Amino acid sequence: MFRKVLVANRGEIAVRVIRTLREMGIGSVAVYSDVDRTSLHVRMADEAEHIGPSPSAESYLRIDRILDAARRHGAEAVHPGYGFLSENADFAAACEDAGIVFIGPSAASIRGMGSKTAARQTAIAGGAPVVPGTDRSVSFEEARAFAAGHGYPVLLKAVAGGGGKGMRRVDHASDLESAFRNAASEAERAFRNPELYVEKLIERPRHIEIQVLGDRHGHMIHLGERECSIQRRHQKVIEECPSPLVALHPEMRRAMGEAAIRAAYAVGYYNAGTVEFLVDQNGRFYFLEMNTRLQVEHPITELATGLDLVRLQVEIAAGAPLKLRQEDIRWTGSAIECRIYAEDPYNNFLPFPGKLTRLTRPLGPGIRLDGCVYDGWTVPMEYDSLLAKLAVWAGTRGEAIDRMIRALAEYDVGGIRTNIGFFRQILDDPEFRAGNLHTGFVDEFFGRTAPPAPPPELAAVAALAAALRTTAEAAPAPEPALRSSRWLDAGRSELLR
Amino acid sequence: MKLALQINGGPEGSIEILSPAPACRFRLGDGPERAADVEIPEPGVYSILMDGRSYEARVEEHPGLLVVIIDGYRFEIDVRDPRRFRRGSSGAGAGGVQTISAPMPGKVVRVLAAVGDAVEAGQGLLVVEAMKMQNEIKALRAGKVASISAREGATVAAGEVLVTIE
Repeated sequence: MFRKVLVANRGEIAVRVIRTLREMGIGSVAVYSDVDRTSLHVRMADEAEHIGPSPSAESYLRIDRILDAARRHGAEAVHPGYGFLSENADFAAACEDAGIVFIGPSAASIRGMGSKTAARQTAIAGGAPVVPGTDRSVSFEEARAFAAGHGYPVLLKAVAGGGGKGMRRVDHASDLESAFRNAASEAERAFRNPELYVEKLIERPRHIEIQVLGDRHGHMIHLGERECSIQRRHQKVIEECPSPLVALHPEMRRAMGEAAIRAAYAVGYYNAGTVEFLVDQNGRFYFLEMNTRLQVEHPITELATGLDLVRLQVEIAAGAPLKLRQEDIRWTGSAIECRIYAEDPYNNFLPFPGKLTRLTRPLGPGIRLDGCVYDGWTVPMEYDSLLAKLAVWAGTRGEAIDRMIRALAEYDVGGIRTNIGFFRQILDDPEFRAGNLHTGFVDEFFGRTAPPAPPPELAAVAALAAALRTTAEAAPAPEPALRSSRWLDAGRSELLR
Repeated sequence: MKLALQINGGPEGSIEILSPAPACRFRLGDGPERAADVEIPEPGVYSILMDGRSYEARVEEHPGLLVVIIDGYRFEIDVRDPRRFRRGSSGAGAGGVQTISAPMPGKVVRVLAAVGDAVEAGQGLLVVEAMKMQNEIKALRAGKVASISAREGATVAAGEVLVTIE
C-alpha cells in the first residue's frame, strides 16, 4: 500500500479524499494556489505545497508543478478528485511516466471515453443502447428519411457544435425544411461549418447513472444507480440513490448495470467510473457519456451500500484485486444529496462568493456533510462555488426527504447567499415527493410556483430583531467563557514536557 | 423609541421599542403592545421567545440595510430613526437618480458605458464576473450616465454602487 498520496485538487473533494487517506494510515499532500493558503484542505493535510497563482490554469491545471510537488514530497500516487486534471489523459500518462500511480483508469481508457463521439462509438461497440441518431453530417433528404423512420420530435445538431448553437427541435415534418436551413446557417456563422446531424429527441428525460468499479485484473461490478434529474444550468444539484423510477422497476438496475459494465469493458476500464444514461418516459435508457473519475455525488452510493469508494479507488490503484462480488452489493434505505452552492437561486443562480460570517451545520441522525467551509473563510471567486454536499440517509425515500428538509432548516451560512432555502422548496414540492422527475424539473418548477411567502408572524419577529440591532439596546453578546478542566490542564502540562 | 421601517421594499411601517431586551416590549405600527424574551446566544443571532414560540433571527449588516433571516426566509429591512438625519433613499425613484449596484460580489471585467453616455433601458453598462460566470449589468431606465465608480479589474462587493444614471 502507498505511504503517501498527493491530492491534486482543492475544495470539498480534496478534504473528502484526505479523510479516507487518514483512515487508511496514508500520508496526504495537499497542493494549493495563492488564494487557497488558508483553505480547509491545506489545513487538514499532513503536508502541503504551493503550486502557483490563483487562476486554475496557473496552478491546479499545471501538470508539471503538480508532479514536481509529488516528487519533492515523495508521494507514490496522485488522487485527482473530479474536475481539473481528473479526466486529462495526458496527466494520467505523465504520472505513469514519472513513476507515480494515477488513482483512476489508464490514459487509454480516458481517451476512449474522452469525446462525446468517441464515447458513443465505444458504447455502440460495447452493445450499450445510444440515443438513435445519424452520427455523421446528413443532407436534408437524409434528415427527412431519419425523422420519418424514427418519428418526431427530432433534434438537429451542428457537427462542430456546442452551447446550443445550430441546434433545433423539430416537432413536425412540415417544419423540418426551414429548421434545417436555419440551423445550418447558424452553424455556419458560429463554427464556419454548416454540417448537421440528427438525433431522436428524448422528451422530459431522466438522468440516471451507474457507478462501476473494476480492478486491474479484469474484474468489474456495478454499485447501482444514482438519479440526478434535478439540475440547474445543466448541472446536477440534487441526487438520490435509489432512483425513484428504478425503485418502481427493480429490473432496470440490473439491465443498466450490465450495459454500464459492457461500455466500461469496451475501453479496458479499471478503478471507479460512472456511466450516464438518459431515460425516456417509457423507461428505455440510452448511453450518454462516461465520467472516468470519482463523481461529485458518490456519497449517496456510499450511504446506500456502506462502501467507501475512495478507499476502494486507492486499493485498486495499488494493484489489489477487488474482493467484492456483484452479489455482495446490497442497497439499504434511501440516500439524497443536495449540493450547497454559494449562489442566489432567485437571481438566475448567479454565483455569490464572499466571506462567511456565520456557520451552523446540520447535525443529528442520518446526516453526512462533505464540505470545505469554516466560519470566517472567504469563498474565492476563482473557482466553482460548491461549498458542501449535504447528504442524508433514512429507511425510506419519504423519510429521507423529511430528514433533508430538517437538516436544511438547521443549516445556516451567513454573509453570502446559498441555495439552501431553494432546496427546502423543491424537496417539499408534491411532484418531487411523488418522484416525477426530469431534467427540466427546476425550470418547470419556477414556472408553476411562486416564491414562498413568509408567514406574517415571521415579519414581525424580523422587524423586532432589526429594531433591536439598530438601537443596540439588546443584551450584549456574552464573552466566550474560558473553559478550564483537569483534562485541559493535563494536556497543557503534556505540551510543556 | 419609535423607528420607521420598510421590509422587502414594501410599504413604510414603524416599530416602537417600549422596553429593551431581554424582557422586551414593543409595538408594530398602531398594533397592540407585545412582549418578547430576547437573548443573543451567538453574535448576530437573536433568540426570540414570543407567544410561547421560539424563533431564531440572524441579522446581517449590508450596505444601507439589515438582512434578517428566519427559518430560511430572508427579510431586507431598512430601519431608520426618524429623529436622525434621513438617508437619501436608493433605487430608481421615478424621474430621480438611478443607482446601479452589483447584484453579486465579483470582479469588473468590462465597462461598457462612459460618463455622459445616453443609455437605453436594458442597455448593458458593465460586466461583472465571479466563479467563471459573467453577468451583464443593465440600465433599468433610459437616461444619461452621471458617474461610474467601477474600474475594469476592480473587485466589488454585493450592493456596491457601480453606476449612477440621471
